[in-house]
Amino acid sequence: MKKLLVALATGLTFCVSAQAAEPLIVYSAGPKPLSSALAKGFEAETGIAVELFQSSAGKIMARYQSEKANPHADMMISAAWSHAITLDAADELLAYTSPNAKKVPSALKTKTYVAQGAAALAIAYNTKSGLPLPHKWADLAKAAYQDQVTMPDPSSSGSALSLLQGLVTKDQKSTWAMFADLKSNGIIVPGANKAALTPVLQGSRGVVFGAVDYIVFGSKAKGESIDVIYPTDGTVLAPRPIMIMKSTPHAAAAKAFVDYILSDKGQALVASRFLLPARTDIKAKRPGYNDLSIIEFDQLKAAHSATATKQKFAKLMAQ
Amino acid sequence: MVLSFVSAFLLIIIVGLPVAAIAAYAVFPHFNTLSFAEPFAKIWPSLNDPRLVGATLQALALSASVTLGTVLLATPFGYLRARITTIDGKIWDALFLIPFLIPPYVGSLAWMQVLQRNGFLEQLLGFNLEKFLFSFAGLTTVMTLHLFPLVYFSSSRAFAMIGSRYGDVAKVFGGRSLSIFARIELPLALPAIFSSALIVFVLTIEEFGTPEILGRRFGFEVIVTAIHDKFTNWPIDLSGASVLCLILIGVAFVAFQLHTRMAARFNISVETSAQPMSSGQASNGHRLIVWATFASLAIVSVMGPVASITISAFMITISGGVTWENMGFRNFAEIFSTGSDAFQAIGTSLTLAALAAILTGLMALIIAFSVVRLQSRGTAFLDFLSILPNAIPGMAVAVGLILTWNLPFWPVTPYNTVGILLMAYLCLMLPYPIRMVTVALRQLPTSLDDAAYISGANEWIVIKNILAPILLPVSLAAGFIVFAVSTRELVSSLMLAPPGVETVATFVFRQFDQGSINVAMAMSLLVVLVSGSIIALGQKMQGSHKP
Repeated sequence: MKKLLVALATGLTFCVSAQAAEPLIVYSAGPKPLSSALAKGFEAETGIAVELFQSSAGKIMARYQSEKANPHADMMISAAWSHAITLDAADELLAYTSPNAKKVPSALKTKTYVAQGAAALAIAYNTKSGLPLPHKWADLAKAAYQDQVTMPDPSSSGSALSLLQGLVTKDQKSTWAMFADLKSNGIIVPGANKAALTPVLQGSRGVVFGAVDYIVFGSKAKGESIDVIYPTDGTVLAPRPIMIMKSTPHAAAAKAFVDYILSDKGQALVASRFLLPARTDIKAKRPGYNDLSIIEFDQLKAAHSATATKQKFAKLMAQ
Repeated sequence: MVLSFVSAFLLIIIVGLPVAAIAAYAVFPHFNTLSFAEPFAKIWPSLNDPRLVGATLQALALSASVTLGTVLLATPFGYLRARITTIDGKIWDALFLIPFLIPPYVGSLAWMQVLQRNGFLEQLLGFNLEKFLFSFAGLTTVMTLHLFPLVYFSSSRAFAMIGSRYGDVAKVFGGRSLSIFARIELPLALPAIFSSALIVFVLTIEEFGTPEILGRRFGFEVIVTAIHDKFTNWPIDLSGASVLCLILIGVAFVAFQLHTRMAARFNISVETSAQPMSSGQASNGHRLIVWATFASLAIVSVMGPVASITISAFMITISGGVTWENMGFRNFAEIFSTGSDAFQAIGTSLTLAALAAILTGLMALIIAFSVVRLQSRGTAFLDFLSILPNAIPGMAVAVGLILTWNLPFWPVTPYNTVGILLMAYLCLMLPYPIRMVTVALRQLPTSLDDAAYISGANEWIVIKNILAPILLPVSLAAGFIVFAVSTRELVSSLMLAPPGVETVATFVFRQFDQGSINVAMAMSLLVVLVSGSIIALGQKMQGSHKP
């Protein structure tokens, strides 16, 4: 019984201590070292404390949705542009255009959300696999890559869905034909991004179709035998939206944080994680806007047919 | 009657409210904004998914085979465990707790590393078992090897409680060993076996990590996969996910009823202070055979995944493969280069796990007492309520907890403090001690209680001075399981951790998320070692306290 009381007392102490300060609460997906560095830098510059809830893109959305009766998040930084589209359509985002967003390409900003940075979707290959280097997406359907290709599942990976949408928008017929060929060539679709990359790092498979490039660059920097190829027929960007929630009581602080993330300092931190900075005038530590041939497509329009696209893909792969 | 009230109160606060919140969310799609608009709007659209029928049938098939597998594998070992010397037994008990210390998610990845094409097995011995691993049989095997200890622990305790007295009597009258086992000892132990089998069944139905990692590779979908899609994949549909959780609650209800019927047929209490099963007459050869049998199970179920985790924890690069040049301490260095994060994570997890183990143990005693002894109205419902957290996915429990404790009208709430993690662990872990203690209590005759009541004791004193000491070994066994499972709890920590708080699971997840599998494996290994030693220490202390 004594232990029970001690535990309860500890619990109460936790409750009380949490209500003391009024920091900016940010829910963030993606690399934690980046969000921590941004939070620290902002705190040093403005004196405003930032509290981070760091999880996956799906989980920060789920937490935000569950908390609606009594919201806590002032801002969210997601890994999935589609989440921002949904929240914007539901009118839950605060409009803000940062003065620092001038050099952000128009595809990466709207009235209510702006990209922190972006990843590009690419082919990742194990350099020890001895496979020929692919040049186009469709090369991976060739016999040389039989039973060697993995791909993140568009129904669990937002970036893989973007790639699929981009390729389908560009050329519907040949894209679906290519996926049918990939399927008969033994492609596996083992889950979200990590699940597709891991077997390639481990040498169980050779190539990822649609890897998130900055994670691969990170692995390469750690000495892994892995590298990135951008297919010549174009790639798709997966931007990471910064959103201010309409329910926030700390709008001024939130806007200041957006400004900081888009400042020279903030963007340099983004670049240091091998992400493509949102601003075109900041030097990337990886192929930049001028080195990539980007397939432009209307994300909003694609979002309407997303379910059908995902289902068509799933059906093709289940055969 | 105070006790029944206390039990009901505890269960309703800890388990009832979050589960009710999920049910409410299933019915009212805008319950998260505290609005009751459009009731039932989500139910049909969520259920009208052609994949669901197949997913439900496959989930049932998987759970049934894993349950059968664990019972067939664990019961003989539980029986042998009760007959071997305490010292040998303690070693095996400690070893068989290890699978619990490994999150199923990490365990499946570990098996994958070993068995897949170009995996550790192929690098070392030249062949792989990829085809087997990514099949129904492989999935069942991996889950069975992970869950069999649950049945092992409760059946070995049950066989020990039965003791050798009944067997000795039968032997005097000429009974043969096999028929003594089949006609006396096994039937007496069945309630405990059924009860742990029920937990295995609901845990398998609810398990996400293993079917996700292994099942996806051969297109095997279960209900939880569908629920998880709605929980985390765009467009997120929490209300729809809650509807699907109702299916799981239904399945758990049927399983629970079935279990109650079966257990009722074998509900016999045994005399206390039973003679321990003796190992006196066992020859050295016999002992060696028993030892070899235990060792071979331990090698497959414990050493397999642990070796895989250890190898990758020491691999400098993932793509470097299993070679001496590729071994080093870089991953461990990286863990501790994160500053205090890793220490904080381990500290938080161990503290929460210890608190959860102690509190659930105490609560289980009180709740089991009300359910078994007081049998007041509604106890069957309480009993059912107590297994629900095991039947619904951790993600749903987390959503239920947020819906409950984030409501604006609570004067004090654990939400957004570490307290909510403790609430989550209590909710998720309570089923283990409740099941184990309830069964043990059912087998205890009421004669001791009656004697105490006649001498003027009240219920508290009966629990404190009589039942608690007798049930201590069972409570401790359950406590260790709770401790082990809590140290690596993943899903609810990822959803509920207040900003800035790390647990082991969130730390490990973050490494996986950024593709640093080996750092994640190194952290998992550290935790297995740290919490494993704590458990071993606890078991040793338990031994020295025995009269």
